Amino acid sequence: MYLARIDGTLVGTAKHETLAGCRFLIGQRLDADGGPTGEPVVILDWMGAARGATVVVSTDGDVARRRLGNTTPARLTVAAIVDNVYQPDGSERADGNERAAGSAE
Amino acid sequence: MRLGMVRGRVVLNVAVAPFRGLRLVIVEPVTAANLAAANGLGGGTPLVAVDMLGAAEGQMVAFVEGREAANPWFPGQAAVDACCAVIVESVDFRPAENPEDRK
Repeated sequence: MYLARIDGTLVGTAKHETLAGCRFLIGQRLDADGGPTGEPVVILDWMGAARGATVVVSTDGDVARRRLGNTTPARLTVAAIVDNVYQPDGSERADGNERAAGSAE
Repeated sequence: MRLGMVRGRVVLNVAVAPFRGLRLVIVEPVTAANLAAANGLGGGTPLVAVDMLGAAEGQMVAFVEGREAANPWFPGQAAVDACCAVIVESVDFRPAENPEDRK
């Protein structure tokens, strides 16, 4: 599992048959400082994570397999939506949602 | 799943049984900068993935990596660890302009 920030959505018509009707989000894995790292990943979401939200991504395909059947290739799923991240140095990082709402004004 | 641009095909001569009749494509993973710029470039290290969707060269796909990529052959087994799962129609990718704001 790792933390990721949701930065987009994805639409695809031709997909594996088990993925029909699924919600695809594009996220970026977060490093220890909370910055994006690595290449963007496509995550299946049943939790309703919003853009800018920090989520816990599970890299185990079991969750998807239970929902979509044994033949689904899906792997990354949103396991949880994060409220706050507490770092050992005492800093507290709120989820981007509230900040994004504030900065939009 | 990561995103990748289809760059070419691989044609096999001798292969293990489950690979017969499979279509293999070369996929170049898309980096965050290229995805945000929507410039059709990849930028990552290319890999070979099974394609059951008929993705054409230049199309963007989302591909699964790892053991889960062999799930479509369940209950059979296949030596597959990368598999195209979605042909991408459109992407709405707008990362926070100043990531510091999100912290």
